[in-house]
Amino acid sequence: MSNLLEYVKMAIHNIMANKGRSFLTMLGIIIGIASVIMIMSVGQGTTNQMNAEIDTAGAGQIQVMCSNDAMNAGEYITPEDMEALTQQVPGVEAVAPGSGYTGATSTGKGEFSLSLTGTTQDQPMFSTSQIKRGHYFTAADVEEARKVCVISDQDAKRLFGSDDVVGMDIDVECNNVSKSYTIVGVTQQPENGTFVTYTYEGMPVYIDVPYTSLQEFDDSYDEFYYVVVLADQEADASAVSDQVVKVLDARHQSEGEDYFQVQSFQDIMELLNTMMGAVTGFISFVAGISLLVGGIGVMNIMLVSVTERTREIGIRKSLGAKTSSIMAQFLAESAILTVLGGFIGIILGFLGAYGICGILSSTQGMEISPGFTIPMVLGATLFSCAVGIFFGIYPARKAARLSPIEALRRN
Amino acid sequence: MEPLIQVKDLCKVYNPGENAVHALDHVDLTVEKGEFVAIIGQSGSGKSTLMNMLGCLDVPSSGSYYLNGVNVATMHDNELSVIRNREIGFIFQGFNLIQNLTALENVELPLIYRGVDRKTRKKLASDSLKRVGLEKRMSHKPSEMSGGQQQRVAIARAIAARPPVILADEPTGNLDSASSREIMQILKEMHRDGKTIILITHDDGIAASARRVVRIMDGRIESDVQNPDYS
Repeated sequence: MSNLLEYVKMAIHNIMANKGRSFLTMLGIIIGIASVIMIMSVGQGTTNQMNAEIDTAGAGQIQVMCSNDAMNAGEYITPEDMEALTQQVPGVEAVAPGSGYTGATSTGKGEFSLSLTGTTQDQPMFSTSQIKRGHYFTAADVEEARKVCVISDQDAKRLFGSDDVVGMDIDVECNNVSKSYTIVGVTQQPENGTFVTYTYEGMPVYIDVPYTSLQEFDDSYDEFYYVVVLADQEADASAVSDQVVKVLDARHQSEGEDYFQVQSFQDIMELLNTMMGAVTGFISFVAGISLLVGGIGVMNIMLVSVTERTREIGIRKSLGAKTSSIMAQFLAESAILTVLGGFIGIILGFLGAYGICGILSSTQGMEISPGFTIPMVLGATLFSCAVGIFFGIYPARKAARLSPIEALRRN
Repeated sequence: MEPLIQVKDLCKVYNPGENAVHALDHVDLTVEKGEFVAIIGQSGSGKSTLMNMLGCLDVPSSGSYYLNGVNVATMHDNELSVIRNREIGFIFQGFNLIQNLTALENVELPLIYRGVDRKTRKKLASDSLKRVGLEKRMSHKPSEMSGGQQQRVAIARAIAARPPVILADEPTGNLDSASSREIMQILKEMHRDGKTIILITHDDGIAASARRVVRIMDGRIESDVQNPDYS
């Protein structure tokens, strides 16, 4: 194979001599590679965007839930448990209860359903939204069970047509009890993201209230089946999770009962990534089938080419070309065709991915930029090369095995 | 000294069985180095089959063929390729140039398959083209040349790798009489330069250019005489 370079040159020479046909041969590969690259990079971009959003929304957060067994046994997480977690588990910065209640309110703008989150003054640590007006409720508000609330600017506009609402009251009706809450703060709702923060018409109005104030509606206001622990960014989430469960089990004498279940955002992110990966993988697989079809196209054209060039093969053989020389020349030709097609496909795939992301951005308001990775490009190149060699073998063998007299006799 | 070509008891049978065709029937032929031999016969006489055997394009059904002391009758495909490349220069009736290659590239082909480096190859190929008077046509494609010029490119290709044997199969069959004379003249010159030339033809006029004339009929050698008219 010391002559490999010569065979590659012959192959290039022949490809250049038949430009139109060479392009048509490549077309299948171009389309196949372009669609795989496009799908994979849009998929990767979506995953990246999702991770970024989850990361800002939930980095370091660990969700703790009571299992059904715990709730049947009447074991819930209490404010004392939360205090203990903050004190005893290293790496825990804050714990916020997430007790949710649904209610309703009516304003001059109409009737609204209401989602109340009973929490503490630490809640802002768990959220990325900024206070726009007023302030978040304080430890004193929580301690004294004041009926104050914080609302987002968007929801304030829905209720009152303005976000300048600090000091105004909301009449909250919940569990057939009606109480008036004073708005002390307005948060800036983050720009519509793609996955995590997305509001739509008809969603309930969300307000944060001191959990203690909820005793007016519900006697078990201080029994939480769900709390969120904020771990130090530096801390190992799984170690903190283990510690959290240990402390809770110790306090409830429930070792081995599996009463408390934890899920860190890291787990959720991994799960989401796996799902996205599976979806992207499946679509890529379908697109990969088009590559296969492209490869068969290359094989067909190469077979036609072998038939047409029978005489040339005979001439070459009579001049001393070995079986391997002819084989190398034809294999080089199909490999070059597919690799070239692969390159063009990669470029078109990139352009297509940018196009799709542009369309998504302008029509759906989703900010996705395509995610290209080196393995993706390398993989596409290697794969198209492999397709060329694989589907080139049969025509090349056919060419190489022609007997020289047979080949010379044919016109 | 042993002869360049020594064929003994060579047979080629097509369709062995009931309808067997004995294209070559126990042929013996010896060609010394430096000879100019014409093999003449009508179509169907077996001369093409003999030419394929002598050119190592095909293997005989039985018998032996010593080329430069090596029995090539039992060789395999790839070994035959090497022998063709080293020992034989072909000149075909239909020129058999590769259409999308230039004259120079066509002449380079046997040198590529021999593994000669690029620089030497270019030099040898252009020397050969000069030898046949085509130094001004090196970058022309076959379609841009006359039949006579194309056949001269083919001759240049045949001699580029300096093989000891030139095998010319009806080299003037597709040419007008002026071009034919030209080609025969070149062959004669090559013979004078010491090449062994085997010319296969059906044309007595062409065969008359050779020093020795072997007449073949029905797969057998009918006569083998020195040409008294050779000049």
